[in-house]
Amino acid sequence: MNRKPTQSVLILQYAILILASLFAFYPVWFTILASGRLGDRLYTLNLAGMFVPTEWTFENYRVMLFEKPLLTWIKNSLYVASVTTVASLLISTSAAFALSRFRFYGRELLLIFLLAIQTFPGVLALVAVAQILTALGLYKTHEGLILAYTIGTLVFSTWNMKGYFDTIPIDLEEAAMIDGCGPVDSFIRIAIPLALPALAVTALFGFMAGWGDFIFASVLIPAPDSAKLAVPGLYSLATDMSVPWGYFAAGGIIVVLPTLLVFLALQRFLVSGLTIGGVKG
Amino acid sequence: MIGWSGRRKALIILLFLGPTLVGILLFNVFPILLSSYTSLTNRNKFHPNPDCNLVVTSVLDPVCWPIFRANATKGLAEPYRTQTPLLKNYIDVLGQLFTREALLAFLLIFICFIPLIVAGYLERYYDRQMTRRVSSTTIWASALVVALALAYALNVREAYQTLTNTGDFFIVVFRTVIFVVLRVSLSFSLGLTLALILNSPYLPGRTFFRLILFVPWATSSLAILMALVWQFFFREQGVINQVLNFFGIHGMAWLNNPTSAFAIVVLADTWFSYPFFMIVILGALQSVPVDVYEAAEMDGARWWTQLTQITLPLVRPAILPATVLTSITAFQMFGTAYAITEGGPVQSAGKPGATDFVIVYAFKQIFNSQNYGRATAFAVILFIFLFAATLYALRLTRITKGAYE
Repeated sequence: MNRKPTQSVLILQYAILILASLFAFYPVWFTILASGRLGDRLYTLNLAGMFVPTEWTFENYRVMLFEKPLLTWIKNSLYVASVTTVASLLISTSAAFALSRFRFYGRELLLIFLLAIQTFPGVLALVAVAQILTALGLYKTHEGLILAYTIGTLVFSTWNMKGYFDTIPIDLEEAAMIDGCGPVDSFIRIAIPLALPALAVTALFGFMAGWGDFIFASVLIPAPDSAKLAVPGLYSLATDMSVPWGYFAAGGIIVVLPTLLVFLALQRFLVSGLTIGGVKG
Repeated sequence: MIGWSGRRKALIILLFLGPTLVGILLFNVFPILLSSYTSLTNRNKFHPNPDCNLVVTSVLDPVCWPIFRANATKGLAEPYRTQTPLLKNYIDVLGQLFTREALLAFLLIFICFIPLIVAGYLERYYDRQMTRRVSSTTIWASALVVALALAYALNVREAYQTLTNTGDFFIVVFRTVIFVVLRVSLSFSLGLTLALILNSPYLPGRTFFRLILFVPWATSSLAILMALVWQFFFREQGVINQVLNFFGIHGMAWLNNPTSAFAIVVLADTWFSYPFFMIVILGALQSVPVDVYEAAEMDGARWWTQLTQITLPLVRPAILPATVLTSITAFQMFGTAYAITEGGPVQSAGKPGATDFVIVYAFKQIFNSQNYGRATAFAVILFIFLFAATLYALRLTRITKGAYE
């Protein structure tokens, strides 16, 4: 498998890669093209316009940034997503610490239970979650949403972090403990810095949970416009009558750009953070 | 392991696990309890409010909790009550799935799968022998032939018809299972192919390709918008039809045809999900030692043999849990189908559409017709099924074990 490939194999590999890249990138490319076109003209496109930019204007971006409440929505999303990230990191790291570093009665059962309980479809728990939030007086507030998101990420994050911590030899911490560190202290000073890839993945998932979700955000914060998050806000621009594709696409690109950059920057971490941690054989 | 014991240790563990436990109890366990209870009641848009004088209701429904009563919405409508008989919602959901004809149909379909199960056991038996007398291709091919012959002889098509007539439940679950199988195997094979290619060190520009191929996953925060883009490709005036027009072919209304609408949802969801497999497999491939291949090369093993005998078995432990967990999430897929087809196309009124997968169906029951009782009964049945599947998967993959156990 690590032989130097022959000419024909190389051509085949490139052919597959190029086809797959077209498949992967064309929908995104299409969105970029649509963002540079005015109004609802997606319907009256000529064939060439679907593949190459025949016309280009920044009008949609201008409207989205300065006339629609997109910036407010992004600010809301940023608030919700970043608090979710921090909360999810803190809570799941501490849980993963307990699950990875202590042997106690019911530990394995708890791990299984966490995973199995997760199979209750989130969408269907939504009514109950909304009821609890109403009872707590947090319905229609960003804090309620943050609570729901943070707990939604806990199972995955805890599992992933616990798996990663398991691969860090405890000897290192024990050495620190002999030198006079407490268990928690040595964990923070030694294991946490070594677990950076897993922390990055957990942070990313926390952020994406807040940034990209649609269903929870639209049900738990139905109104007013100024409190909406970016994705449901964007979606609310579409009426039953028409979909303003130009605004939609431009807004979408503005919303996705930060996460795209973060994703691409973290992709090296993702490979090790996911495979070593969450899915250990 | 760490220098604590007794009460101190218990306290520390509780302290660190506490927030997680409270959160899970409030937002995961409690909704399950409440949903299970709701599934026994006639709660719907005509009976939306609780009757706080009933003991169970006053304990389970948050609106009734004394500290929260101030925030409760008060309605004038009749409160909801438990159904008589108690399991009425379940009976409604399952329909006539447990009548004699339906059970007989199940039995017939099961019989057709017996040759494949036998083949699986034979295969495992031969794997343990030193020499193989029968090749694995022969075993599977003959099992498949026998299975198809049985299916023809037992008239499976008719059995399937009987089952679809038993109500929504069977058809919805059946379609979802088909969807999961197609979507997971498609994105798995695509992810595997790409990971194998990208793992080759003799490929200029592979970082570039890795970035491009990674893009669909990075757009997951806009899943709903990208799903709309996919929908646009297949509209009557969409990209596909315009390209076909250019070649003089008159395209069809893709989204109105049950089969093509189903295929489109599978395709779009594959687009969203293959990068995950690619990343996981890529990570697993990096831990496969090179010298194994060198040894295989010495023995004259060809590419295909190396792939099936070395690479796949070695990455299996890392990939299996990911595959199982993805299958479970695929079973719960909601956004893509809802954005592209809203569960349609519906062929006859009152019947579930071709892409009404379980969660889409249940979501519509709750939010469009406010039929909480029935929808939660549906959810509870699904949950029992998925819970069992997860436990089985955990046993299969042994991922609860730590690295040093």
